[in-house]
Amino acid sequence: MKNKISFFVTFIMLVTGWAKEVLPNNIPLDTCVQVILQKDVARIKEVANYIVANDDVAIYPLISAIIDKRLYSYNDRAVTKFPGDSLYYSVYPVLKSVDLSGLKIKEVKLARSVRNQFNSLVKKVNLIHPNPSIREMSFRSFKTGSSLSDIAFLESIIKNEKNKDVLLAAEEAIYSIWLSSGDVALQNKALTEIEKEVNVYMLESLTEYVKSTTNIGGKERAENIIDDIKSREKTINIIQNLFSGISLGSVLLLVALGLSIIYGLGGVINMSHGEFVMIGAYTAFSIQQFFIAFLPESLFDFFFWVSLPFSFIVSGLFGLLVEKLVIRFLYNRPLESLLGTWGVSLILIQLARTIFGDVTAVKSPEILSGGINVAAGLILPFNRLFIIGLTVVMVLLTYFMFFKSKLGLKIRAVTQNRNMSASLGVSVKRIDSLTFFLGSGLAGVAGCAMTLIGNVVPNMGQTYIVDSFLVVVVGGVGKLIGTIISAMGIGVLSKVFEFFYEAVYGKVILLLIIFFFLQYKPKGLFSDKGRHSDD
Amino acid sequence: MFKNNIYIIFILLFGLIFPIGYFTGLIPINTLTLWGRYFCLAIAALGVDLIWGYTGILSMTQALFFCMGAYGMGMYMTLSNLPKGQLLPSFMIWNQVEELPFFWVPFDNFSYALVLSILVPGVFAGILGYFIFRKRIKGVYFAIITQAIALAMFLLFSRNETMLGGTNGLTDFKFFLGFDLRDNAVKFGLYALSLISLGLIYWYCHNLVNSKFGKSLVAIRDSESRMRFTKYKVAHYNVAIFMIGAMVAAVGGMLYMPQTGIITPGRMDVQASIEMIIWVALGGRGRLKGAVIGTLVLNLMYSVFTTLLPSSWLYILGGLFVVTVLYLPKGVVGLVDQIKEKLNGMFAKTA
Amino acid sequence: MLEVKDLKVSFGGLTALNLDAFSVTKNELRVIIGPNGAGKSTFMDIVCGKTKPQQGSVKFKGLELLGKKEVEIAKLGVGRKFQKPSIFSGLTVYDNLLLGLDGPKDVFTSYFYKLASYDKNRIMEVAEKVGLVNDLNMIAGSLSHGKKQWLEIAIVMLQDSELMLIDEPAAGMSDVEAEKTGNLLCDLSKKHSVIVIEHDMKFVEQIAIEKVSVLVRGQMLTEGTFQEVRNNQEVIDCYLGSANSAQQKAHS
Repeated sequence: MKNKISFFVTFIMLVTGWAKEVLPNNIPLDTCVQVILQKDVARIKEVANYIVANDDVAIYPLISAIIDKRLYSYNDRAVTKFPGDSLYYSVYPVLKSVDLSGLKIKEVKLARSVRNQFNSLVKKVNLIHPNPSIREMSFRSFKTGSSLSDIAFLESIIKNEKNKDVLLAAEEAIYSIWLSSGDVALQNKALTEIEKEVNVYMLESLTEYVKSTTNIGGKERAENIIDDIKSREKTINIIQNLFSGISLGSVLLLVALGLSIIYGLGGVINMSHGEFVMIGAYTAFSIQQFFIAFLPESLFDFFFWVSLPFSFIVSGLFGLLVEKLVIRFLYNRPLESLLGTWGVSLILIQLARTIFGDVTAVKSPEILSGGINVAAGLILPFNRLFIIGLTVVMVLLTYFMFFKSKLGLKIRAVTQNRNMSASLGVSVKRIDSLTFFLGSGLAGVAGCAMTLIGNVVPNMGQTYIVDSFLVVVVGGVGKLIGTIISAMGIGVLSKVFEFFYEAVYGKVILLLIIFFFLQYKPKGLFSDKGRHSDD
Repeated sequence: MFKNNIYIIFILLFGLIFPIGYFTGLIPINTLTLWGRYFCLAIAALGVDLIWGYTGILSMTQALFFCMGAYGMGMYMTLSNLPKGQLLPSFMIWNQVEELPFFWVPFDNFSYALVLSILVPGVFAGILGYFIFRKRIKGVYFAIITQAIALAMFLLFSRNETMLGGTNGLTDFKFFLGFDLRDNAVKFGLYALSLISLGLIYWYCHNLVNSKFGKSLVAIRDSESRMRFTKYKVAHYNVAIFMIGAMVAAVGGMLYMPQTGIITPGRMDVQASIEMIIWVALGGRGRLKGAVIGTLVLNLMYSVFTTLLPSSWLYILGGLFVVTVLYLPKGVVGLVDQIKEKLNGMFAKTA
Repeated sequence: MLEVKDLKVSFGGLTALNLDAFSVTKNELRVIIGPNGAGKSTFMDIVCGKTKPQQGSVKFKGLELLGKKEVEIAKLGVGRKFQKPSIFSGLTVYDNLLLGLDGPKDVFTSYFYKLASYDKNRIMEVAEKVGLVNDLNMIAGSLSHGKKQWLEIAIVMLQDSELMLIDEPAAGMSDVEAEKTGNLLCDLSKKHSVIVIEHDMKFVEQIAIEKVSVLVRGQMLTEGTFQEVRNNQEVIDCYLGSANSAQQKAHS
């Protein structure tokens, strides 16, 4: 009864606008927590209002949990669980991990209207969000529309902050507030700090400052920093493009490597090679589905590492099958093999569409999300770094297989002279099959790697096949080193052109360059010399 | 030329039975239009046969040339179909274009459009061919480079800035040369025009491959170096046939346009060119008959299967690629010849 | 007619040919012999423009041939028959000959070409000489190996080249056929300069009416009449000797 009355009173006060002043000025936070955990309908609104008005940092973890819908309770204690982490944490009075294994834990589901009451705190609460990139963003959001009075609060929060990127964002926020404060001393202090370590994210605040200030000296300093930032941004852009160019080149290289070896070996243009990429990607997808269905969640991230070898094997086996059924009959008939394998590619694409439908995606493992923050504004994503690393490993393996193993020797022998090798006792058929297995397997690995950066679709191989053939042609058929150079060249150039022109025109310019390059070197970068018959 | 029964069957079927069927109401006009379109594709396939079947050059740009012809005709039709008072095609107005781009201007006139639709692909093929053949790029390299060119052109045609209607292409026509395209008589006229054009171009190609020039093409296919040492400038021959093939394809495209009423960049991608090649391969490469038969059969199959079992078509098409390459190196026409020879041999023995 | 000086060509560091001097006069029939890999075919490849040497000079009628394209060299009057018969296997024998026939060979002439009776007579005449009259309507690819050789020779003959480079014309021929070929070559050398590469010693003896050159490991070992060459100890050592020593090894 008492509750009802006090609620009523509160309601009246709210409506009449007295709420703030007349709010019971002290509800102990412990009580607040209990009210929320018990979902005490009568008091929850009041408590929410109190929390918002009181704005105590100690309660932020609780609010964060409420907003993100990850609030749980056991024995009247509020706990939470963060995504990707199986441990529970108490949220009040301090955020720390608690061992609750075996205890009965209840999810606290709050109505949307209650959650919405905390909206005004979201910006502040997110400053202690478990995800560092959200914390970083929240700090940045303080750069505009904040006043000097917020600084103390921000400083109190960063006391416990350890993440370098978040700290940097907090500094940005404080400097920005100083710059917009109108206090010349603080503004100069900010400029001095910014000059110490130029940060590209300060561009907007500085521009704003230049526009509004009357202090000529400060304006000049700010303009100098802006110039510096702009030239820095340019460099960052170039590096970023080079980087994505290299990662594109890596993918092309993984695909082209198999193509080149197979073409060198048997004079076969394998248009279905792209489909082995697709098969590799679907293998990764299937293994992911298997992990979701049959294995505990904690093992989920392993699916990718399991997928890599499986993609190699499954694509390799498909390659073997295609070799046995079709390509075997088409050695040294490049144009016929082009048409025949195109047919194979149509069948494989339709098969994938029948089995898997149109678009599916593979979730990247946690460890490969995010990236290295090399400098402010320059992030090298882990997934792309991984692809580059994977390519280096695969190329090295291919190199050793090719030039240092007995199998490689035989493959090179068959590549040079099929009949002679056969008469010297090399089992040409077996070498053909093995090479096909390896080449298709490489494509499969490429497909598995591609799931990190894009969707899995039935015709994904087609996107890369034309480019990969260009890589082979430009590099010189059957030349490992040529293939590497041309893959990187084509990858980097296409990203650079995309940067300077629009994507489509960049591509067209690249194709024209390749066209004219082949005028100058019709056999590619590296080609065999010697007396050979043309017909 | 009429030695062979197949010509007589062809003329009887499409020149007599089909029109009679139409006029007696037994065959719907849409069937005739469908075949009319096939004839246009068969014309393009004849070009493929000249380049690939006879000369041995696997080009991935035939569909591009076909589309260039179609776009040329489409540009004329777009301009002649503009509503009164409208000076620009609608898609240009949406893209805030103020003035008709210069390359559209001549297509306002039908005769110019006719000439340019053939000439532009021809000249384009000439320039492209000059650069490629000059350096003796052939075989696989040629296939891959032309594939890249086809891709580049596809990308360019798909852009709005190139003023060719972007990915939507050119469409929405009601009249062709003042005739109402929905009118059955007009549809029949276009069917007849396609049939006659196919006949004329077939006759032209027939004379071409039997001329010394045609023999030179086969000679290039068989032994390019022998041709060089016999004083022939192979590159010139290659460029010439590449241009002729392109222009033949363009004629097909021009006739195709009023019958389908739409042309999009999707028709010129690599896949489209490879499909044209398989029409010829299935029919019988290096045989003009083969090109026509292959085109008609495969397109008929396409229409039938995509209506009855839509998801099966790619399996069938893919399977046909494989079967043709592995078991029918001379195509259906070659197979029929072989069977005939066998039968003749058997009869000769028994007699 | 043909003057070769300081010719050097190597493939990937391996010297294939190193010829100080070599010459052929008008209407001469020259036979080049030498073991496998001696650079005989490479030499012909260089003369007709198929292979580019690193250095040297090849002058034909006083004109430098190096740096010229195959077609230009052929137009100057150098004809070539390859070791492996290179003919148009998809065309009839008659069409093969028609294409070989001397005359303007640009695209337009071919496009508008009408067979003249003079041309036809010329084709029949050559077909007669090489014994292919009865095979004119055969598809060239289905001819026997020997007939393919003749067909290629016929194509070179119709070209009316002043210098003919004939690479192993008698390979795959019966003795009777080879003798016929030999007579044909001797006959040709009345109006043309002919260089023949051959392995078959019996055939060489028949056609070596003038000089024989011996090429060993890319270098000219000796030149002279067939008798001189046959009795040259160095030739026996290098050319036949390898077989002898191999035999000796096998015996010991």
